[in-house]
Amino acid sequence: MDLVLENIPFLLKGAYYTLLITVVSMFFGLIIGLLAAIARIKGNRFVRNVARAYVSIIRGTPPLVQIVIVYYGLVDYGIELGPLTAAYIALSINIGAYVSEAFRGAIQSVPKGQTEAALATGMTEKQAMRRIIIPQAIRYAIPPLGNTFVGMLKETSLVSVIAVTELMRSAQLLVAQYYVYMPFYLSIGIMYWLMSNSY
Amino acid sequence: MIDIKGLYKNYGSHQVLKNLNLTIPAHQVVAVIGPSGSGKSTFLRCINGLEEMTQGKITVNGHEIDANASKKVWQKAIYAIRQETGMVFQQFNLYPHKTVIENVTEAPIVVKKMQKEKAYTIASALLKRVGLSDKENVYPSQLSGGQQQRVAIARALAMEPKLMLFDEPTSALDPELVGEVLKVMKSLAEEGMTMIIVTHEMNFAKNVADRILFMADGVIVEDANPKAFFKRPQTNRAQQFLQQVTEF
Ligand SMILES: Nc1ncnc2c1ncn2[C@@H]1O[C@H](COP(=O)(O)OP(=O)(O)O)[C@@H](O)[C@H]1O
Ligand SMILES: [Mg+2]
Repeated sequence: MDLVLENIPFLLKGAYYTLLITVVSMFFGLIIGLLAAIARIKGNRFVRNVARAYVSIIRGTPPLVQIVIVYYGLVDYGIELGPLTAAYIALSINIGAYVSEAFRGAIQSVPKGQTEAALATGMTEKQAMRRIIIPQAIRYAIPPLGNTFVGMLKETSLVSVIAVTELMRSAQLLVAQYYVYMPFYLSIGIMYWLMSNSY
Repeated sequence: MIDIKGLYKNYGSHQVLKNLNLTIPAHQVVAVIGPSGSGKSTFLRCINGLEEMTQGKITVNGHEIDANASKKVWQKAIYAIRQETGMVFQQFNLYPHKTVIENVTEAPIVVKKMQKEKAYTIASALLKRVGLSDKENVYPSQLSGGQQQRVAIARALAMEPKLMLFDEPTSALDPELVGEVLKVMKSLAEEGMTMIIVTHEMNFAKNVADRILFMADGVIVEDANPKAFFKRPQTNRAQQFLQQVTEF
């Protein structure tokens, strides 16, 4: 226990990176996800298929594989990313797929009469989408987005494999230094739990 | 003002509208009646392009939509028609995330790019006209059905339409709220608005409309003067229908 208290600043720094990665990835994921959702609902056949393939591939492959592809795989093509940058990119792309599903569901749960009412007053499809549908869809999307956010918070632990010193890797480093496991892993477990429940 | 030629509408192999032809002059109030599923809503929705017709030609205020026209030409005409045509739905379809007055100012601001201040002045006057001055800043969910439908009428009027389409505007209302909505519609009719009203309110149709269209199975079976129609419908189909709706 003393060991944990002694190393709290180090663990807190890890927690800071965990949160940072979560928030940054969530931010870009929201943008990617909104675009993908609109592409799937309103795009032409080609755009729709591209968006659908994106969602299907991301949801059908382990995030760990996605992370190593971005960090290690791209090196083969001369693209060397820093670990943190690779983490942002891989996780933003990952979360975008889940966000797009949340948005798509939300947009589709706005009753059809809303679009019709807007079109009947002379709005274009785009205006109806922006002024009438999306503001309502955002409300429907908040609960699933909250779940996605918590999921992302936990998933960031995966980027410890590419040497980003977030919370998980902070604990691993301490374990390697002191040769005790439980206190550190238990502590970060509690820290993840606290963060998940306080957003 | 409205000219419809050879209008057909199919859903897959199901023919819902079968060769409608009619002309409606400006300021006429037309009541469309007929059994459920006869194509009344579809007919109305073809006029402002919420449904795409399968065949035929519709001209509204000189804007022509033709089933054979390219998508682009069709879109352009339909936008022009919609800006001059108000529509009122059975389920009101007010925007729940906007206040009553925002519901009314939305289209003038977004579609006509009207100055906010002017849009609010117009909206206030319209809400006064439908008797809802005290509700400007509440949300639709706080209103009764009758009040919501009156807001929906004000929302449509805010675009200063030349034509108003009503699709069973009182069918979703509790009986005691029907009157307040019909009253607003009657005053519009008296001011000379061109109106097409799908309704089951036979008394309203008889007393307010200038013309009755009786539809069955996608066809206009009778096109008649209300007095004559309600006194003595010409077809069996219409006689049966009137008997059914006036029983009890
Ligand atoms: N979107 C649709 N897809 C398939 N069939 C439809 C659709 N909308 C309406 N119909 C059918 O078209 C017919 C006419 O419907 P509608 O115009 O709503 O009739 P009414 O308003 O007179 O009750 C009905 O048989 C209905 O089932
Ligand atoms: Mg109907």
